[in-house]
Amino acid sequence: MDLLNHIALGAHVLFTWTNIFFCFIGVLMGTLVGVLPGLGPTAAIALLLPSTFHITPVTAIIMLAGIYYGAMYGGSTTSILVNIPGEAASVITCLDGYQMARKGRAGPALGIAAFGSFIAGTISVLGLMLVAPPLAKFALAFGPPEYFALMLLGMVVLIYLAAGSMLKALMMGVFGLLISTIGMDSISGTQRLTFGILEFSDGVGLIPAIMGLYGVAEVIVNLEEGITRSVVTSKVRDLLPNSQDWKDSFWPILRGSVLGFFIGILPGPATVISAFTSYAIEKKLSKHPERFGTGTIEGVAGPESANNAATGGAFIPLFTLGIPCNPVVAILLGAFMIYGIQPGPMMIAKYPDLFWATVMSMYLGNAMLLVLNLPLIGLWVQVLKVPYPILFPIILLFCLIGVFSLNYSSVEVALMIGFGVFGYLARKFQYEMAPLVLALVLGPMMENNVRLSLVISQGDPMIFLTHPISAGIMAVTFVLLVSPFIPWIGRRREKLQEKVGGEEV
Amino acid sequence: MEKKINHYNRISALFFLGVGLFFSFYGRTVEIGAWSEPGPGFMPFWCGILLIAMAVFLLLGSFKRKEWKAMPPFFPLADSWKRVLIGFVSMVAYLLLFKPLGFTLVTFLFIAFLLKTVFPQSWTRTLIVASATAILSRLIFINFLETQLPAGFLGF
Repeated sequence: MDLLNHIALGAHVLFTWTNIFFCFIGVLMGTLVGVLPGLGPTAAIALLLPSTFHITPVTAIIMLAGIYYGAMYGGSTTSILVNIPGEAASVITCLDGYQMARKGRAGPALGIAAFGSFIAGTISVLGLMLVAPPLAKFALAFGPPEYFALMLLGMVVLIYLAAGSMLKALMMGVFGLLISTIGMDSISGTQRLTFGILEFSDGVGLIPAIMGLYGVAEVIVNLEEGITRSVVTSKVRDLLPNSQDWKDSFWPILRGSVLGFFIGILPGPATVISAFTSYAIEKKLSKHPERFGTGTIEGVAGPESANNAATGGAFIPLFTLGIPCNPVVAILLGAFMIYGIQPGPMMIAKYPDLFWATVMSMYLGNAMLLVLNLPLIGLWVQVLKVPYPILFPIILLFCLIGVFSLNYSSVEVALMIGFGVFGYLARKFQYEMAPLVLALVLGPMMENNVRLSLVISQGDPMIFLTHPISAGIMAVTFVLLVSPFIPWIGRRREKLQEKVGGEEV
Repeated sequence: MEKKINHYNRISALFFLGVGLFFSFYGRTVEIGAWSEPGPGFMPFWCGILLIAMAVFLLLGSFKRKEWKAMPPFFPLADSWKRVLIGFVSMVAYLLLFKPLGFTLVTFLFIAFLLKTVFPQSWTRTLIVASATAILSRLIFINFLETQLPAGFLGF
């Protein structure tokens, strides 16, 4: 069996003390940032990326992936205990999770969230193993027009889901594309808008941008008003859900897992959407929909499973096409490139050890999280009690040091502060960050592919419509762009927006 | 007067209009190229044009007479702007003093300053948290992760 060989290979690479240690560090840090409000997985991975430069790529990717799904676990803890989602994907968990905690059932809520996440994580890793390799083979047939069309679709989906005005989200996307042209043009070698600054010839750094837009801007917004929060202080006990809880949660967990995985493959804020969709489905299927919102366990089990499964799904476009679907995966893509690994259809074939070890580490990481989260909940509650006035200077400090240590460059730190100011103002003017970040990532690739396509077709832009695959993708993109003008779909978009609510992706 | 979303849109549209104009002019200076062989100015030029078009659309739309959504005040509290300003200014100061003063000292000052000014804490608390952060971050970043952070004139 081919698959078994691959699993053996992955396990062989994974099970060294170093890799297990860094997997542990990753999930631990992930849970911590998931617990801390105001510091999401995006900023955390960006922050820890520089510290991975002196370890091997496999170990680094294992750790960074651990942060991503670890944060999903951590986020649920704060939702349940404090009614404050640590990150956007856990917003929906507040509805029933916090109500359960108020009824003295915080234990089973945390327990089912952890078990559900574990089961979902496992299912989505299985899916990743089965889907990614054949998809990568299919993607080998892709040329520049197909890649361009696909990236355009990715951006448009994100823009389509943006909260508020779609025009403004589009503008942020185009603004991102423009910023991404700064630096040396990779085809002609021309320096564009670098003003002789060395740091700019590689382009505007993604990590200073992300840290500024998400880390700094978020903290500054929180400074406007003092944050006060109260933790449910009642003892958290009986973490193990009873048999009735299991019976109620079994199908929600399974449905949430499958749903989350498939939504994860699509571009956009998958973890958030999948959690909301799962909640809606469970409410619709339930015999007692009126109980939702009052502390029913299905309302915790489904969404928590879905957002964890989505993290696995989100790796598929990265491993098969080299296209990141959200900012977190975009940083991972950046990490691959720093280590000299070009993600794309050839990646699994070229670096089987990296791919399979990462996949296997997700099993291990999920198991660790289960073991870690249940006994450590007391510790996370203590972390939550650290008041924000003390926490925020430390978060800002980490942003400053994190960006500086990336290239030991003061210019990049200044860039981060600049993006912080921009991000703060953009929030005030109700612009979305996610299209800007995705455009920064995809910009250089889109530019190269559109220019290569035009060279191939000798200047005929119809090349995007004459190639069948790219024509199909272009058609979907077009429908999404015009759909707000069609009342029937426009209303559905508004409903989706209400759910996603302009949260950090 | 209470501000509505269209006022905000108008201001930001002007900003993006400027950005679009800048990039499309810039694109022309570095060679747009032909359709069959697009040059380095191709993307800046066409994306600039696209941004101009969208900004104009947003700008014109903001003059339409309709019930615009009211916006919350720009700063939620009367003294919010002070804390926002302190936050940004202290980061710039950190960046400027980072090399002359050295990582450990400037970190201590940065944390202490923010603790004391943004949401004022007691002196005891300020000093304890600031020293602990400076020492711990030094241990983590310099001694454990071996990050090369500037030592400053004091040599630490």
